[in-house]
Amino acid sequence: MNATPATTPRRIALGRRPVAALGALCGAVGQPLVLAGSVAADIARVATLCGIYLIRGPRRWREVLYQCLRMGNHSVVFVIWVAASLGMTLVYQSGLQAQRIIGDLSLLGPLYLQLLLREFGPTITALMVATRVGTGIAAEIGSMQVTEQIDALRMSGAHPVAYLIVPRLLAGVLTMLCLTCVSVLVSWVAGLITAQVAFGVSPYTFASLSFIIYGDLILMLLKATAYGLAIPIVAGASGLAAHGGSEGVGWATTQSVVACSLVVLFLDFILSGFGYLFLLR
Amino acid sequence: MRPRPAPPHPLWLRPVAAAGERGLQVWSATAGVGRLSWQILRRLLPPRMDARELLRNLYTVGVKSFPIILVTALFVGAIMVIQAGLYVQQYGAEGLLGWGAGFATLREVSPLLIALMFNGRVGAKNTAELGTMKVTEQIDALRALAIDPIDYLVMPRFIAMVFMMSLLVVVGDATALIGGAFTSQLLLGVDMRIFFQSLIDYVALEDFTLGVYKAATFGVAIGITSCHFGLAVSGGAVGVGKAVNNAVVAGAISIFLLNYLVTYLIP
Repeated sequence: MNATPATTPRRIALGRRPVAALGALCGAVGQPLVLAGSVAADIARVATLCGIYLIRGPRRWREVLYQCLRMGNHSVVFVIWVAASLGMTLVYQSGLQAQRIIGDLSLLGPLYLQLLLREFGPTITALMVATRVGTGIAAEIGSMQVTEQIDALRMSGAHPVAYLIVPRLLAGVLTMLCLTCVSVLVSWVAGLITAQVAFGVSPYTFASLSFIIYGDLILMLLKATAYGLAIPIVAGASGLAAHGGSEGVGWATTQSVVACSLVVLFLDFILSGFGYLFLLR
Repeated sequence: MRPRPAPPHPLWLRPVAAAGERGLQVWSATAGVGRLSWQILRRLLPPRMDARELLRNLYTVGVKSFPIILVTALFVGAIMVIQAGLYVQQYGAEGLLGWGAGFATLREVSPLLIALMFNGRVGAKNTAELGTMKVTEQIDALRALAIDPIDYLVMPRFIAMVFMMSLLVVVGDATALIGGAFTSQLLLGVDMRIFFQSLIDYVALEDFTLGVYKAATFGVAIGITSCHFGLAVSGGAVGVGKAVNNAVVAGAISIFLLNYLVTYLIP
């Protein structure tokens, strides 16, 4: 479990120290790169298979609904808690700054809602879903993999990606859309209350929708859909890559949190850039 | 443990029973975290722990999560510059780009997202490690050898996490600002020098130190929750998986709570 630091052989350590140091450096840089490459290849493979089976696979709507129920139930309280504390913090922080520099708090509400729709609502929700649901998917599929249930599935003629990941993917998209709306709403209400209590901004001033354009809403839904597609694919790929007993399951779970969060941040970057260039001008 | 028979509750009582069970779980986790914090606090004055273990943990916690933190920070900086750029473009105030992006990054977003990544990378791994030791009775073996598991296992991890979290946020802030500068040059067409100039003009040292304080607090939270959930594992490999999931969630919850408290208490 513990990765021991790479040791250089004793023989070459004395006479050819620069060479050994260079080798250690290459190892330190190359090892993460190779790992990242193999994970990316896994993800790409599972994503392609998902695309194929989405078009011409069996539709199992009952299973999709069941997964929706599980994902939503598992994460809704968590998402509400996180959204509320994030909303309070952001409004308090930006209110203090606006008071100090501009001295006018009437724009706080509209700008906050805009930023929430464009950025924080979908992304923070997705990071939370990645920790809560992503680990669950990876642990479940990983333990099926190490107990050879996946091989059993293959033997009975069902492809594991079609049978296990595709329903989770459809459910993930639906759940992410709902959870994002819930989280934006909760953050907004929490921000409204904070602005009223901490700075005395009236709720009528705060609750102005004047800055919101359709581009903001489209960007929010686009981000939520992309994250909902990405999280089950990445978590499922990490689960399918598990090997070697209960330690392998632990490894897959840890790996899936990191990979899901990084993929979410990457998609956020891409989609924000897209929104900047095409949607929000 | 013997399998329990199905509970004889009538249908209308089931939600109440489920809520009560959930409440008891949350309460026992809170109490356990509080107890572990007290035990850690008592061992901090005077500090006593295994120095060799501490060094090893500093390496695995800090150096091993370095690449991930760098990548995260690059994206964070880029995203914040894009978001600030939308306003800058609307009002034509290019000189404020560095202020908007840098302020939000240093004070809020960079510590928060780095802590979430750290929670997923280091916290989850730590829980899995301690949980595996617990279910394979290695922790009982330590006790049988008269070695205190908290001295030997928890303290070095806790110190390493707090220390490394603060250091990683410093590196992450720098990386995020560099990523932001490149994004502003390449995507927004705002010269890098203007970005850095407004950063120097408007962002105060307190913004940076608040981020570092936040990071240290998040390190404390991640250390305590991950160690608690690891040591409280029961029930084999399935239990370890569940504990990892719970630890990550509890870590995120306490990170957001502490984020609010620190923002509120340190002006």
